[in-house]
Amino acid sequence: MCIKRILAILMTIVLVFGLTACGGGSTNPASSAPASSASQSAPSTSPASSASSQASSRSSKSNKLVVYTALNEDDIVTIQKEYKELTGIEIEYIRLGGGDLAARVQAEMANPKADVMVGGSVDLYDPLGAAGAFEKYTSPNTKDIDPMFVDPNGYWNGWYMGVLGLVINTERFDKELAPKGLERPKTWDDLLDERYKDVFVTSNPATAGGGYIFCANQIFRLGEEGGKEYLKNLDKVVHHYYKGAGDCISPVATGEFIVGMSWVHDIFKTQKQGYPIEIVIPEKTAFEIGGAALVKGGPNPENGKAFIDWLLTKEAGELNRDIANRYSVRKDVAAPQGLPAIEEVDLVDYDRAKAGDMKTTVVEWFEKEITANRG
Amino acid sequence: MAGGTTLRESIKEMKRLKNEPLLLVAIVLIILLVGYFTIWPVIKVISVPQASDYAQLFAKRRWISALKNSLFMTVVSTLSCTAIAFLFAYVVSRLNVPCKGLFRFVALLPIVSPPFIVALSYILLFGIQGIITKGLLGLHVDIYGKFGLWIVQTVTFFPYAYSVILGVIQKISPNLEYAAYNMGATRWQVFRDVFWPLCRPGVAGGALIAAVNVLCDFGNPMMIGGDLALLPTEAYMQISGWYDMNTAAVLASALLVPALAIFVINRFWVGKRSYVTITGKEISLTPLKPPAWVKWGLFSLTMLVSLFVLLVYGSLALGAFTKAWGYDWSLTLNNMRYVLNKGGQIWNSIRFGLLASLGASLLAMVLAYIVQKKQVGVNRLLDFLAILPGAIPGIFLGIGFVMAFNEPPMELTGTAAIMVLALLFWNIPTCYSACTAGLQQIGASVEDAALNLGASSFVSFRDVILPLLKGPFMSGFVLSFLRSVTCLSVVIFLYAPNTIVGTISIMGLVETGQWGSAAAFTVTLISIAFTVLKVSQVVLRRQGIRLEL
Repeated sequence: MCIKRILAILMTIVLVFGLTACGGGSTNPASSAPASSASQSAPSTSPASSASSQASSRSSKSNKLVVYTALNEDDIVTIQKEYKELTGIEIEYIRLGGGDLAARVQAEMANPKADVMVGGSVDLYDPLGAAGAFEKYTSPNTKDIDPMFVDPNGYWNGWYMGVLGLVINTERFDKELAPKGLERPKTWDDLLDERYKDVFVTSNPATAGGGYIFCANQIFRLGEEGGKEYLKNLDKVVHHYYKGAGDCISPVATGEFIVGMSWVHDIFKTQKQGYPIEIVIPEKTAFEIGGAALVKGGPNPENGKAFIDWLLTKEAGELNRDIANRYSVRKDVAAPQGLPAIEEVDLVDYDRAKAGDMKTTVVEWFEKEITANRG
Repeated sequence: MAGGTTLRESIKEMKRLKNEPLLLVAIVLIILLVGYFTIWPVIKVISVPQASDYAQLFAKRRWISALKNSLFMTVVSTLSCTAIAFLFAYVVSRLNVPCKGLFRFVALLPIVSPPFIVALSYILLFGIQGIITKGLLGLHVDIYGKFGLWIVQTVTFFPYAYSVILGVIQKISPNLEYAAYNMGATRWQVFRDVFWPLCRPGVAGGALIAAVNVLCDFGNPMMIGGDLALLPTEAYMQISGWYDMNTAAVLASALLVPALAIFVINRFWVGKRSYVTITGKEISLTPLKPPAWVKWGLFSLTMLVSLFVLLVYGSLALGAFTKAWGYDWSLTLNNMRYVLNKGGQIWNSIRFGLLASLGASLLAMVLAYIVQKKQVGVNRLLDFLAILPGAIPGIFLGIGFVMAFNEPPMELTGTAAIMVLALLFWNIPTCYSACTAGLQQIGASVEDAALNLGASSFVSFRDVILPLLKGPFMSGFVLSFLRSVTCLSVVIFLYAPNTIVGTISIMGLVETGQWGSAAAFTVTLISIAFTVLKVSQVVLRRQGIRLEL
């Protein structure tokens, strides 16, 4: 009787786990394959260069590539198709927002599943490189590119650029602001007009990368004092600070607010959906560099390198421009349709190193002088 | 009571377990499992930051106000959630009014909405330019801030409390109320002194689940919160906006403290009092009828809330079939066409949801039974383990899982198993509260009778407790299933190319401004989830089990 009882309780518990294990088992074959190859290659890559040739000889036969990306779903699907036609290599991808993606790459560091990380600001790549998540790799194709788009530490390769801009709801602007005598803003300073009060939204530098770059933009443009003065004055018209830079776009698109600050390529995506919005790139705007880096200990390192090389070609730059409306870092790739050439975009002299150093103090200042006075 | 005495008692109780080897095995297994799958991942995350990072928590103004705001919102939203949940549960179970099916449906709907997507619906309807607020009523309402968030959180989270409270009210037999009434108590006195105390375990259990959900909510504050800083959003944005794992982990740990406090307060409030209503001498009568004005007053209130919810979700449904939701309302099927290509993801959502919630409800039931009905010396520890996963923000459970189970002996990353396991343990508190609330009403005498007649713990559990627990068990199961299907935070770090689920796509669509497709995906997910429930309801009814929806 005792045995029967034990069996019965065990069954209850085994049932719980038996079922979950079945669920796991049934879909595993595909995903466990890269996992096992990763665990084999992981020890071989740790004794650095000597083993890397060994790894490459094995993976040269592989026609798979695992990409962790912060690009848009549609864009990575197009790249996947194009790259398959070009090279026969099958891309498997995971798509997440930039910070989430970086967090995942770091969390998997003990046993990496990805070959390359692609897309998202290089500001995210720096700490990952320092943490040891990347293999140093500077593509030979970077020789055609301005050195500011190449990591001095050798981890990331910049392959596209994003600029900050304004999203404007044209319908409400024409109906409500134009009669008051306002024209579309052309500079950051135009926004200080009190007629924008409560119809302008932007994002908080404490939570949004883009929100901080915007603050740094003003400091690089006007000097430290001038920049802070500007942010204080701008605060008078800001309805509220969203937590993410991208969060400003939809409310403007649907007419809840009239003007918002965000990344131009993100605004463009919403514009494509048919909302009545217009993109303005103000003078002296800031930019981010979109990166690509080789993950240390990934299952197919050679394919990863080849893919990064490809991203830096003219063809890839043009493809990315056409599907995602992003500027290429290559001078021989024309600007996205409907946007001015990058030479015409008046970029601020953005010092990435300085921006990184002063982040804590600027955010703290912003908290004290601006956010603290809000509800 | 001195600590020493309790410890000695605990040890004495543990010694008694020798006679119940099965129970002992079950307890050890449960402690190991829950420990390994919840505490271990949490430790992994918490040990990322240095001590100096933790010290910063109190140095930064923003985080102190985030902590204050989080606590404030949790208190006010939980109060209103619980009140509305009680109203719904009372109307559905005790009043003879029409539209009960509608009320039941409305009280499940908000659970199945993935984060972010419904917020746009609120803005479109009740925002500054809202169709209702400005267009219809001509008001200038600013919903961005505490007030708007309070309304939205109340509507989003009352269903969690509702299902627990309902499970308990349905089990309260009206006999006692009749007795009191016949002895001259007024209807109000009957309600206050007889009915309400019997509801207390349910209300407390419901409030606990609602509070933890409000506390960990990050989707609503992102869109509606305005300038309000809250702990979960700050923690999430430290990863998502800044990729600062140290700070994020610090903030998430700060979230654990109030979450655990909620748990302690809850236990204190329910206290040692037990209200036993299933005594083995069952007589069922129709509930005491309240006066007509009370009945219809409550009905109208319930109806008002229901209409509000329907409006919000109706707008979402409309968004699924319009060209540019919120701007161009002309109808289109393009969004649905997009969803049709994603059948595999929807199948994954359903499959993982079913497995996870089945596992969670079984494990939680055994756990609740041992904690409530057995004095085994480690009751408090078990109780704590069962409720702990609820205090961990989903996103951290996810990151913790990747860190903890990415190397041998448990190399699970990229598999379906890791998705199911994470959802399973994330859902244990939900199921556990439901079962606990149900168990607290089952009198010891019922089980004593079985034990005295020679049944073992296991037999009395299977033959006496289980049949009485069917209701709470099923409500826990249903709730977990709906939560799993619409969960984003837990799975975001766990999915692999072949285990992608619907909510991941919805998030991607929201990020790229494709609200129409996102709405279509959400509507499809909601419809399928309800269809699955409906089918299981029919199948179970054939087996003689009633599944309340």
